[in-house]
Amino acid sequence: MTGWRVASALALHELVERARDRWVLMASGLFVLLSLGVSLYGRAAQDAQAAVTAPSVVTLSAFLVPLVALILGHDAVVGERERNTLGLLLSLPVRRFQVVLAKFVGRALALSFATVLGLAASALTLEPAHRATIAVLVGPTLLLGLSFLSLGVGLSCLVRRRVTAATLAVVTWFLLVFVYDLGLLLALVLTDGAIGQDTVAWLVLANPAGLYRAGLLLRLVGADQLAELGLTVAMPGAGLRAAIWAAWTILPLLLGTLHLSTRKAVHG
Amino acid sequence: MKITLRNVAVGFGPVQALRGVDLDLEPGRVTVLVGPNGAGKSTLMGVLLGLVRADRGTVEVDGASGSALPASARVHLGYLPEAVGFADNVSGRQVTRFFALARGLPRAEAEAALERVGLAAAGGRLVSGYSRGMRQRLGLGIATMGAPRLLVLDEPTGGLDQEGLGALWRLLGQARDRGCTILVTTHDLALIERRADQVVILRQGRVCARGTPRSLREQSALPLRVHVTMDGEAGRSRLADRLAPAGLPAERQGEDLVVRTPPQGLPAVMAALEGLHGQVRHLRVEEPGLDQVYEHLLAAPDGAPAGGGAP
Repeated sequence: MTGWRVASALALHELVERARDRWVLMASGLFVLLSLGVSLYGRAAQDAQAAVTAPSVVTLSAFLVPLVALILGHDAVVGERERNTLGLLLSLPVRRFQVVLAKFVGRALALSFATVLGLAASALTLEPAHRATIAVLVGPTLLLGLSFLSLGVGLSCLVRRRVTAATLAVVTWFLLVFVYDLGLLLALVLTDGAIGQDTVAWLVLANPAGLYRAGLLLRLVGADQLAELGLTVAMPGAGLRAAIWAAWTILPLLLGTLHLSTRKAVHG
Repeated sequence: MKITLRNVAVGFGPVQALRGVDLDLEPGRVTVLVGPNGAGKSTLMGVLLGLVRADRGTVEVDGASGSALPASARVHLGYLPEAVGFADNVSGRQVTRFFALARGLPRAEAEAALERVGLAAAGGRLVSGYSRGMRQRLGLGIATMGAPRLLVLDEPTGGLDQEGLGALWRLLGQARDRGCTILVTTHDLALIERRADQVVILRQGRVCARGTPRSLREQSALPLRVHVTMDGEAGRSRLADRLAPAGLPAERQGEDLVVRTPPQGLPAVMAALEGLHGQVRHLRVEEPGLDQVYEHLLAAPDGAPAGGGAP
């Protein structure tokens, strides 16, 4: 009971800290501005406002939300270590997994607020009839953010210096958001199609950024239109999709906590 | 809270940080751990707090044995890490409010913590604007929240100005008076002189000496310096002549004769002064400084008696 009281206080404190973090504020502001820009451009399409705007917002979110999430998460634990406050936190009657979880929850609340703000800014720019389409993006975009936030927090448990965590966060973003799809495409070309289309599709969906993009574009644009563009992706069922999101959100946190718990010395 | 650490050993790869250390912490007593960098002071604290996993040894709290302080004891713990930082983008008041909330203390305790260390006026400022000493004071305020029964302070004097040091002495005194068990690591000998009930000197992961500041002086057996200010050259010469046969050479320093003697040689000096009292204007016995005692005990070879300072 005492441990959860400490964890709740820590989650709340994290939220307060993030609300004053200039990097988080800048990245969130950028997301809101770009969402607004995309929506204002889409408004010109009159009757097809949502059809033009929503896919653009999905593409924008697929690039920006993981970056904001990784920025938010990268110093969660290693930042405390560098400030010599990790030992102080762990000297409270709280377990290590509760500290990591509290760090995640506090930052997840801050990220969710920034994400909803960006999407709301986009929706409010459109005519009321088109706003429901943007609302469809909220859930998957939050899941995308949470999975990358988990990666960031997990990384922050593994390293000893904040600069290492920041470098790894940027590399992770670059690999999963940019290089991953290109790598699959390259593999397909180099093997002259020896890798089956289904395998490639599954590999796309195993990446949270790919699952997000493919899932929402299928829903917004439709399979036929994507097929015309040469993209054929069969979405897994809701259960499997939920399992993929859950795995990306839980496993990095779990690995980070495990590392922290088995470490011989956690301070200094 | 009575705490006993027994036979604690910790190794990091090829480096053996602690090699079977015993430590007894009593309620209402200040125990100071001293030793050069890398002696194992912070590691020993880490074992006690559960931040470092010992390879062997036990931590006994009020008779219950374990590998570190249990959660039930950590409820009553106040801890100040070395060179504590805190996040830059929150105010001192937000930091103390967080720790009050986390410890289940009333919000007023957050304000009281700031007042205890003289930061009430600066409590609304962001921590990024705090000096090192102010951050240290903030940490001290947090460590003493809720009148802890165990206080663990790692290098508490670092960065503190006179006002901060004053707050530290006062808080340590108050904690000791209400029966708090206190463990401090420091390189600051003034802290030892003013507040230590027990000093434990660590060297290369082992305890090389322990005791009160007074008993450590006795253990070291370093010579006392007796300053005798006398009228007239004749008296000084007579005294020097009387001391020489006792193997106590006297050194002239202006109007003073300075005699270096082991503590057991003091009666011989007093005996030599017989009949010269009329000429003695001033007599002062100077004990060796704690810095000398510390260096002497650290330099003593393993297993050798610490004493033996030549006059």
